[in-house]
This record gives sequence, C-alpha cells and structure tokens, in this order.
Amino acid sequence: MERKIKVVMAKLGLDIHWRGVYLVSQFLRDAGMDVVYLGNKFPEQIVEAAIEEDADIVGLSTLSGNHLTLGPKVVQLLKEKGMDRVKVFMGGVMPPADAIELEEKHGVEKVFLPDTPMETIVKAYYNSTDEQQ
Amino acid sequence: MSQGTTEKKGNLFNQEQIKLIMKSYDDWFNGLSDEDKISEGKYFTHSGITTKLLYTPADVKDIDYMKDLGFSGQPPYVRGVYPNMYRGRMFTVRQLAGLGAPEDCNLRIKYLLDHGATGVNILFDLPTIRGYNSDDPEAEGNVGHCGAAVDSIRDMDAFFKDIDLGKVSTSIVTHLPSTSVVIPGMYFALAEQRGTSLMNVAGTCQNDFIMETCVGSAPEILLPSASFRLQCDVVEWICKNVPHWNPISYNGYNLREAGTDAVAEVGIAISNAIATAEELIRRGMDIDDFAPRMSFFWDLHNDFFEEIAKCRASRKVWYKIMKERFGAKNPRSLLMRYHVQTAGVTLPATEPYNNIARSAIQGLAAVLGGGQSLHIDSYDEAYSAPTEEAALISLRSQQIIQVETGVVNTVDPLAGSYYVEHLTERMGERIMDYIKKIEDMGGLVAAVESGWLHREISGYNMKHQKAIETGEHKIVGVNYMKAEEGETTPIEVYRYPETYTRQKAKLDLLRKERSDQKVKECLNVLRDKCHSDENLYPYTLDAVKNLVTLGEIEEVFREEFGLWSFPLI
Repeated sequence: MERKIKVVMAKLGLDIHWRGVYLVSQFLRDAGMDVVYLGNKFPEQIVEAAIEEDADIVGLSTLSGNHLTLGPKVVQLLKEKGMDRVKVFMGGVMPPADAIELEEKHGVEKVFLPDTPMETIVKAYYNSTDEQQ
Repeated sequence: MSQGTTEKKGNLFNQEQIKLIMKSYDDWFNGLSDEDKISEGKYFTHSGITTKLLYTPADVKDIDYMKDLGFSGQPPYVRGVYPNMYRGRMFTVRQLAGLGAPEDCNLRIKYLLDHGATGVNILFDLPTIRGYNSDDPEAEGNVGHCGAAVDSIRDMDAFFKDIDLGKVSTSIVTHLPSTSVVIPGMYFALAEQRGTSLMNVAGTCQNDFIMETCVGSAPEILLPSASFRLQCDVVEWICKNVPHWNPISYNGYNLREAGTDAVAEVGIAISNAIATAEELIRRGMDIDDFAPRMSFFWDLHNDFFEEIAKCRASRKVWYKIMKERFGAKNPRSLLMRYHVQTAGVTLPATEPYNNIARSAIQGLAAVLGGGQSLHIDSYDEAYSAPTEEAALISLRSQQIIQVETGVVNTVDPLAGSYYVEHLTERMGERIMDYIKKIEDMGGLVAAVESGWLHREISGYNMKHQKAIETGEHKIVGVNYMKAEEGETTPIEVYRYPETYTRQKAKLDLLRKERSDQKVKECLNVLRDKCHSDENLYPYTLDAVKNLVTLGEIEEVFREEFGLWSFPLI
C-alpha cells in the first residue's frame, strides 16, 4: 500500500486561534493525508513529534505575532536533528513582508496568509512531497 | 387570557384583515411569473432561517404588542433596556487598546480618550491571557503582541498612569476565569492604593469558562469544572465587594468568531449564565444579588437583519429566564445589557480598506439592535493590531453613527418592520430551543466536558469553509469579484514595540524588592484553598498586593486543578 503523506500540524506557542489550523487539518485529511494535530506546542515539542511520527510535512499556525521568533526555530531544529527533508508550512495572520522573510530567509516552504483557498494549501502540501521523489 | 381563541387580546391586526392579506398574498405570489417565483425557498439567513421574498402583517399576526414587544425599559425589553435609550445614555464608545508593554498601552488609552472615547477597553497579550509571566519560556515570541503584557500589580499601575480609576469605566478583557480571579484584583488593589474606594470603581471583566475551555486551545487549559468554579468565585466576590463592577461578560463574541452561528452564540452565553446562577444560588446567594451585574458580549456579524433580530430577541429570552425560571424581582436583573464588537472574522486581508465599510455597517446594526457599548474593528486587523490611524477611523465611525446618522434619536427604529419582527420571533424561539438542548445534555459544563461544543464549532467551520470554497458564501474581493494578484493596496501594518526586555527588567526588579517569605506564604495558602470550597478571590487579591506575579498564581492553578486535553482529534 502506498504510504500516505504524513503531516504534523500545530499551533505555535500560546496562540489560541484554532479555527484555521483545525480546518486545514480536516481538509488535508479529507485529501488523503495522515494528519496529526498536536494543539498548542513549542518548537522543541513540535520537532520531537515530527521525528516520532516520521513526518513529511510540518504545518504551523499562528495569528498572534510569534511567527518570526518561533517559526524559524522549528526549521532550525529540524535541520539540527537531520530532518531537513521535512517541509515546513506556515499559516495565519502576519504582515506580508514577514511572510516573504520567512520563505526567503528562514527556510519556510510557504506561508499562507488569510483568504487562501483550502485547495491551494492542499495542492502545495502535495506538490512539496512530489519534489523530493 | 387569550387561550383558546384565535383572536387573542392584543393582536396587532384585525383577524379579518389578516385573512384577506393571506389570501391576497397567495394570489399575488401565484400570479408571479415562474422566473420571479423560482427563488422562493432558496434564501436563508446566516443561521438558516428561510427568508421570504416579501413579508406582510400575516407574518407577525400572532404578535401581542404589549406582551411580546412592549415599550423600552419595560418587559420583555425587546425595544431596549432603558426607557430613553440613547437619548439618555449614549452607547459607550469603548475601543480596544492592547499592545506592547503597559506603558505603551497607557499612551494608546489616553489617545483614544483624548479623541472622544468614553470607556476604556484593555486587551492583553497571550502570555497574560493564558497566565504566564513575560519571562516564562512559554511566553517566547508573544510578549506584547495582540495585547499588552501584565505581570504584576505594578504593570496595572503603568497601564493607568494619569488616569483616575474613580472616573473611568474600564473593561478588562481577561477572557479566562483563571486570570479574571487575578488581573481585575490588581486593578482593585491599585484603586485602593490610590485612595479610590471600591464603591466607586466601575467596569467589567470578561471571565468566561467557555473562553478557557473551548475558544482557547489546549494543552495548558484548566478542566471545565475548575474553570467554571473560578468563574463563579469571581462573580460572587465582586458582587459582594465591588458593586459597580460587572464581574462577568458572557462572551458570545469569541465563540462566534471561533465558529458558531448567531443562535448558538446567544444560546451558549445564556446557558452559561443559567449555570452560573444555579451555582451561586447553591452557594446561598439570591438571584437579585448578582443578576443585575451580569453582562453579555455579542459579535455583530454580516447578516444585517438577523443580527439586529438576535440582539432584540436575546433581551426577551433573558427577561423570560430571569423572571419565569429564577423569579428575579429586581428590575435590573431582567435587563440584558451587552457590549458589541463588530466581527473581526469577517474582515479579510485582501483589499483591506473595504473593511472600513464592512465594520461601519456592522456598527450601525449594533446600534439599531440596542447595544450598550461598542467597539468597531479596524480595517487592518487581518494583519496586526490596529495602527493609531486605523483605530481613529474606528472611533470616528462610532461618532458618525452617533451624531450624523440620526439613528439614535428614536428608540428601536426598526420595530414594526414585518421582517424584523418576524425574524426576532424566530431567533427567540431558536435560542430557547438551543438552551433547552444544552439543558438536556446536563447543562453547559457537562456539554463542554463531553466534547459536544468542540464538535459544534468544528462542524460549523467545516460547513462554512466549504461554502466559501464553492462560492456559495461570497466575500467581496476574495471569492467574488476577486482581486487580481498584487492589486491589493499595501497598507501600513502596526509593528509591536519590543516589550520582552522591558517586562523582564521590571520582573527582575520586582523579585529583588518583594518579600520572598510573603510570596511563599501567599502561594501556599492559595494552594491549600484550591482544594477547599472557599472563594479564592480574597487569596489571589492578597497575593497580588504582596507582589506575587500572575504567572506564579496561575502555576498554582495548573498544578492543583490539573490540565485538560482538548476533546478533538
């Protein structure tokens, strides 16, 4: 049987807005991916879970302004643990310039800002794993 | 007095006329072309009530004016809670202020007051909301974002520098009961230190266990039963000690934003009020000891008429429950007073200036619905906290409604609209049914513990998102008349001031200056009392006076009450 794409989803830090991340999780699952939603977690715990679950993708959601501090940390920790192959996506509310910075400077695969259709997100998750193979 | 007869006393219309109207309506409708008729049955309000093409007196034929509507300031309060409404008491312009350190927020509060705001509304950063100190590892990346940081009573002092606590009415948006048992206490202790009697302190704190257990996310949240206990402790203590303070604001708003419709928003908030009332009565209080100080918080969403109907109906539902179920005697117990905020969730990041229009229309509906205070969201909230300029537009929007539109000059101006009255009746019925459903599950605490409410929220969101994806639910500029890539005007986005180092420095100093012995004593007593039936408020109040920090108190709660796992996935 073909292995499903394994995704670990988390809310970054103390952010409380779970609507978006939970919806994305459901849509990814409906699209046939194996999704583990962690709830609120900090970078160390997220990377630990990614290793344990042998994840292909980590999805991070934040609407509370910690994207530039905690987001890059997840990418960095994954690298340190030899998990470079894991793609990191982010989504939430942030200044558009920060989204570009996360993608260009901090190794985040893609940042999805508000109003992004779910279809776009699901496709991007799929395509990111295609590239590896 | 009207039982058994179709023509009950007080009917608005002559029954012969109604018969004629009904017949004529049928003739009229049947005479329409198929093209004109085809849409009937296909339009719904946001919460799913069928919207007819045309409303007539026949749709409100069963309304008994005196019984179902009455006058403003009189039961069942559909027309408004005060007799002269906005002529006598203009709605409070209560714009939120929450950013950076308390010192930064103090400047924003003064800016808003200087520009005509009539109330203060303070919001905290997530570490504060969730009970961590700014230098706790968990707070990393969130200090001073989305709200202001508060670690100790000294921060409260900085928040209100040069502001007379005996003169302003302050809303303290604490969200969770676990922090409502601490942060308003800092405000009260500060007032006393400044020589203002608690008899003269006025305001509101939020204090809603639904925020702690359903709207907020796990882990690191208290058990529903523990959070509910703290919620009731706050209400009980404040009602007995700070007579002009609203110790609870049942927060339909954030629940709605998390994902519910208008019926659930009000139904859940009122169910929480019922649960609170029962608990406080069990503790020996009388309904009239606390009901006059219960307040509500509604989300004013996009569906203009349904939202107005929701506000009108909610007053009647509250009146009936207070009167019939709890036998309240104090007229103030019967009044549903509420703050309104326009719906942040309806504001897309795309073409953000359109949000000024959205928020103004929602703000207008809030006033037509009869709210007591209002916050109008700013256009840039899909990006960050509002800039000063954006906050001023929101403030000005309120003032435009107040003095330019004329809508405040007469009470409840939409009353008598066949559609609005019909919708008000339907909303009232649906809210009552929803409350009944929760009762049948064993009350709200049990309904939360079972995971039912989480499923309601996620189910709603899934349905709503699918409607957006298919285009059934239209959002201008997003999935309707979609803006081209790059067409959205870039806006100036608010940048939070660096806050962590300043908070850390204050915490270091505080720890040096306070008595460790005293701190330890306060925390030990609190720890013990968590396992008693006693109200915890006096102990948290004593702690904050002795410079115990918010994070230290919350740590005690987390350890003693235990944490709850989110009943989802």
